[in-house]
Amino acid sequence: MSYKRLDPEDFLVSIDSITSTVWSGNTPTLTTFFTSSTASSNDEYYKNVYQDSSRTDVEFAISYGDKLGSGSVNFNDLVPYITPTRTVYGQFRNLIYGDENTEFNFGGTDSETFWALTVDRARYKEKLLPGTFNISISGSSGDGTIYLTDNSGMVSTDTYLDCGRVYQIISGSNGTSHDGGTGYSTTQGSFGLFLPDISTLILNPAAIAYHTGVTPNRTSNSAGDNISLMFEAISGSIAGLGTGFKLNSEETLTSDYVFVRARNSELNYSENPSFISGSTGDVLYDSFINSPQSYVTTVGLYNDTNELLAVAKLSKPLVKDFTKETLLRVKLDF
Amino acid sequence: MGFLNNTAVTLDAILTRKGRELLARGDGSFRITQFALADDEIDYTLYNPNHPSGSGFYGEAIESMPLMEAFPDETQIMKYKLVTLPRGTARMPVLSLADNQITLTQGASTVVSPQTLNYLSSATTFEPSGYTFTISDVRLLNSYVAAGVDTPEVQALNSTSTLGTQVSKTVVGTTLSLTATTINTLFGAVNTTLTATLQIVGRDSGARLSIPVTIKKKN
Repeated sequence: MSYKRLDPEDFLVSIDSITSTVWSGNTPTLTTFFTSSTASSNDEYYKNVYQDSSRTDVEFAISYGDKLGSGSVNFNDLVPYITPTRTVYGQFRNLIYGDENTEFNFGGTDSETFWALTVDRARYKEKLLPGTFNISISGSSGDGTIYLTDNSGMVSTDTYLDCGRVYQIISGSNGTSHDGGTGYSTTQGSFGLFLPDISTLILNPAAIAYHTGVTPNRTSNSAGDNISLMFEAISGSIAGLGTGFKLNSEETLTSDYVFVRARNSELNYSENPSFISGSTGDVLYDSFINSPQSYVTTVGLYNDTNELLAVAKLSKPLVKDFTKETLLRVKLDF
Repeated sequence: MGFLNNTAVTLDAILTRKGRELLARGDGSFRITQFALADDEIDYTLYNPNHPSGSGFYGEAIESMPLMEAFPDETQIMKYKLVTLPRGTARMPVLSLADNQITLTQGASTVVSPQTLNYLSSATTFEPSGYTFTISDVRLLNSYVAAGVDTPEVQALNSTSTLGTQVSKTVVGTTLSLTATTINTLFGAVNTTLTATLQIVGRDSGARLSIPVTIKKKN
């Protein structure tokens, strides 16, 4: 017999969380920031941010949304207040709340505006890892530079919106506040929302303006260029005391382990043509009659009808004879 | 004094083309229930029972060889399986066929009836569990039917239809009936023959035989 049945205890299902840095080149922290050197028709909606001047890999994008459409020019002057910032506001509101009547709420405080940072899809596989988000934003007044993180290390129960888990963005680092408190003021609200399941960060302009002076331009029917304002607040901090932008991703990997066992008396002969001498089936060497030696190079996993479903190779041949048992662990990733 | 390595060897498996097909089908046919070991790539003539350094070096030339990565084509891997036979076996089971190749004109039929030599203490025998017949490209055949084994699993396998481009098909039985395709488009503008490989494996003995199948275009 060449096939051997597997017992139920030969199977093990393992679910592991694999984490890694988000940014290209496995950079743990983004410390250099570049936007495209050429204008794009999408600049009114978002701007991509790169980590090197060659601008090969997009790291994340910055958007600005305004419920009243302020900060950008009307699509058509016959229809006032319908602008790219209004479009962005509705787009993210639909994505995050799934409700066209809800306003963005940052730690109990409603807001008509926000900045959104969306991580490029190529930078992660499944979702962002809470507790790894750290960013510094700097301005010219207030505290100057602020250090933000999510509050995942301070909550015992996750909160959900229509887009999945949500954490407040607070003043602190690595998932906890700097002073053990909430990490934000109830007057301006939290610094934003960390949404790991859709790889998006929403920043609260009111809180950021209060602490750094970085205030979006909310003039009607005017190109406020608030996206560039946030870009400068993030990238400008590096020249001072900034820590850059640090973020990790998380992937759930389900693996099936199959334990393959061959006892000493099993699988010691081979159907390899070089194991046989001539067409009559004589074994190659006389010593193989009582002391055959076979070499395992490949493990095949089959279904009931002997169809080969998966296969694994060893890095070098493994000797099998009547004095040896073989135990191999085969890993199947899905 | 060193520590003995008592950990199991961990291997990363890949799905074969057939495995992906059955997984995509989602009908429960992707269910691993058994395994086999193979020694593809090993040339036993490198084993030297007369090595001057002694028995510890007989397999020297084989044991240090690096191996290639796995192929996803189920017809090109796990070719030579290790088998369990009683100690003292002097002759390995081998498959025997009346012809060592199959050549059919479009629409013609033939029957394949393999036998196993040196198995179950008999010179020639049909294996009780039958034979696995795998054709590397099922498009070349209008009909590909095995008979002689009637277990529910085998009946389920044999009744499965396979659609797609250049996919293999496996059936189980003691005999195989096959009819060449009548479709001309497979030949293209210039080809007059189509070729595939028929792989036959004894389900009890593990003995294996691979023969070419040639389909000739009818003018």
